[in-house]
Amino acid sequence: MSGYLESQLIILCLSIVYAYGIFLPAASGQLNLGAAGFITLGAYASAWFNASTGAELPIWLSIPLAMIFTGIIAFAISFPILRTRGVYMVLATFAFAEVVSGVAINLEFVGGAAGFPVDDHADVTVIVPVTIAVILFSFYFMSTRLGLSLRSIHDDESVATLFGVNVRTSKVVAFTVGAMLMSLGGSLYGHHYNYIEAQTFNVLLSIYILLYVLMGGTQTAWGPLIGATFFAIVPEALREIAESAGLKWLAEGRFILFGVFIVLLMVFRPEGVMTRTLQDRLGGGLFRRKKPVADDMTGGS
Amino acid sequence: MLVIQQLVNGLMLGGVYVMVAVAFTLIIGMLNFLNFTIPALFMFAAVLMYATMMGHLPFGNDLILSIFGTEYRWVAGIIVALVVIALVSLVIERFTYRYMKAKYGDATEHALPLVSSLGFLIIFEHLVVSTWGSDPLTATSPFGQGTFSIDTIIFSVPQIVSLVLSLIVVVMLSVMLKATKLGRALRAIAERPDTAILMGVEVGRIVPVVYVITGLLCAVSGILFTINYATVDAYVGDTVATVAIAGMVLGGLGNVWGAIIGGLFIGMLEVMSIYIVGADFAKLPIWGLLLVLLVFKPTGLFGHTLIGKGKF
Amino acid sequence: MTEHLLEIAGMHKSFGGLKVIDDVSFKVRRSSRTALIGPNGAGKTTIFNLLTGVYSIDAGTITVDGQDITQVPPQDRVTVGMSRSFQNIRLMPHLSTVENVMLGQHARARKLGDLLFPLGMLPRNRWRQAAEEALENAGVGTYPGEVVSNLPYGVQKRIEVVRAMVSDPKLLLLDEPAAGLNKTETNQLQELLERVSGQGVTILVVEHDMQFVRDLCDYIVVLNFGRKIFEGTPDEVHKDPAVLEAYLGTDDNMAEAENAS
Repeated sequence: MSGYLESQLIILCLSIVYAYGIFLPAASGQLNLGAAGFITLGAYASAWFNASTGAELPIWLSIPLAMIFTGIIAFAISFPILRTRGVYMVLATFAFAEVVSGVAINLEFVGGAAGFPVDDHADVTVIVPVTIAVILFSFYFMSTRLGLSLRSIHDDESVATLFGVNVRTSKVVAFTVGAMLMSLGGSLYGHHYNYIEAQTFNVLLSIYILLYVLMGGTQTAWGPLIGATFFAIVPEALREIAESAGLKWLAEGRFILFGVFIVLLMVFRPEGVMTRTLQDRLGGGLFRRKKPVADDMTGGS
Repeated sequence: MLVIQQLVNGLMLGGVYVMVAVAFTLIIGMLNFLNFTIPALFMFAAVLMYATMMGHLPFGNDLILSIFGTEYRWVAGIIVALVVIALVSLVIERFTYRYMKAKYGDATEHALPLVSSLGFLIIFEHLVVSTWGSDPLTATSPFGQGTFSIDTIIFSVPQIVSLVLSLIVVVMLSVMLKATKLGRALRAIAERPDTAILMGVEVGRIVPVVYVITGLLCAVSGILFTINYATVDAYVGDTVATVAIAGMVLGGLGNVWGAIIGGLFIGMLEVMSIYIVGADFAKLPIWGLLLVLLVFKPTGLFGHTLIGKGKF
Repeated sequence: MTEHLLEIAGMHKSFGGLKVIDDVSFKVRRSSRTALIGPNGAGKTTIFNLLTGVYSIDAGTITVDGQDITQVPPQDRVTVGMSRSFQNIRLMPHLSTVENVMLGQHARARKLGDLLFPLGMLPRNRWRQAAEEALENAGVGTYPGEVVSNLPYGVQKRIEVVRAMVSDPKLLLLDEPAAGLNKTETNQLQELLERVSGQGVTILVVEHDMQFVRDLCDYIVVLNFGRKIFEGTPDEVHKDPAVLEAYLGTDDNMAEAENAS
């Protein structure tokens, strides 16, 4: 594999892992604009657990420990944050990410504003299998009764409650597990580039990850995979094509096209590229076996 | 004395944030979404102001020069920025409000206009980058350095002008909300959109007005920014927006006066914390306070809202 | 085993200053098919919402199967043995038919192992089979994988009943299950409910279709303006002057009611 393709593959994998972290709460209708915060937590925690100036643990321990660390923090803040709804939740998670970044910049033992070098290296042979595992886990997670509960909460919270779904617990679990996935993505980032600084994980990153998920669609576990792949590949591909075709304006302005695409998608496919109905139509529906056979059952409608 | 100088600087900086914060709060109060086209419009107005003043527009530079001359090109800048932003606001209204029809009362319904507005943010930032490049663009201020001092405290004239102008614009806006027929219609839509329609408020005609008003607020703010700080780039909106959002939250979502006080307060807090604890530490107290506020007192410091109910 | 499955005693509920439920008490006999009727705004749906815990009650007690559930939080009430359907269809629009029904099973599957069981990945598992069987029994088995928002109204209406049934309730609360159904569909629904009732499930139904009520139910409670004005058998309800006045109102309506019967 060429260096260029490999670097693109890494970016794609990290995007996918981040996107699943945002997807899990989004599947229950919770918008989390704090991706950067959890990624920062994971990246710094794993780097410190691994660092010779820190706990000096091997990478296969530092990454899970970082996930647990992030999970504990996410669990603790999920209770106050999940009290908020809609725009308030978007803003609260955003504020949380800013706080994390503010703290990271001021902690001298992880390098402060100068950034923090990361010791052990994780290359593509680690990142790709981990990404595949995250995808499989997310598909599994969404296929469980807990996943069904999350999707029910997304559609109608009060009816879900009446059928015995513990809405708060389900949301807390989704939020926490999502945060742990982003933490995993963050530590992979750190171990791959071997250098982290809090400024890299800014609000723009949070925005893009939320976009991956909402563009891909929150109704099925395919959504984030499609969204992240599309976002990571299309602008690059457009640049390649435009440059080889000598279209300088397209290479430079490809993000304008991309913005236009986002705006139009929201008008024509507001529920994202991959919806539940589309999944069924493509025949990928895991729940689908029988097709309607009789019309006489439909009655008058 | 140095402390007072910092307070003055903070107040001036807050003056820039105020109008952007008010724009955010108006859209949230009325239409229930966090509008990321606001930083885009702010930035675009600032860049248009720069380009017109410096003769760097993609076309029409000579025409403007022949009409206004070098002396008064800043007037042309103001006109160009205001007109373009007003027109662009009408386009944005269509794609973030009018054409949006969420089905089934989706739980992430409020995310749709948010996502569209992020799309517009991407469009405008890259439009500016591909036209003017991503490096900082420096304008020469038409008013020169323009400072005066009382005792040892230095005031910059453009900054004072912009602070006063911000306050005038915002006062006019809140009087309009309280006293005029349009203002009543706006508040009716903010309270209960469906009832407002039944009562004969023409939502389809009022909402574009909201977009134009917020667009113009951003434009004025962006123009003042260029005059004040003379340096703009494609991403200047992001920083300003983050702080303006903070100001809005502090004042309570949908509360116009809250946004004003919040914006000024955040401006001062920023300058003061940079002065006292250093720039790296500055955003920690601000965002920590906001997180606590959002979770435990989501109506903000001033409780009552002028428009909207802080619903959700 | 108490004789009455549901006992409501001295129930009060106000919204703002408005008394919506004013000192309502009645009992629902075990295995009965009881109807709760009354003009629009009488408080029927409010009673359902109070029973299921959507609203908390201001005063009074609710007893199900001898257990006082007044303070039980809404998500636990279904485990007491009570589930409901809704006046306006409230199926989960993005879930398939069988998934909606499996949501109905949630009350029986709240253990960690059940929550983490991959329902969607294993094509044949007991939850899924049970859900499909329940759909089959209700005559809507042809659409297990269909996303419900694409289905016709009458089918959705019956899926709601199925979803309520699969939680194994002792008490089934149905809020206007026949509204909007045509004659054939109403008959199918009645058959289904009679079968469910035959298995010992107690049914409390809010319904405007008096024909349906008379055919299905053996006991009727009448509400008006948040107060109970009558309870008795379907035969008696016709003769009660208070019901006739409050429920049927003017002579015109009376004539209409005569035509309907």
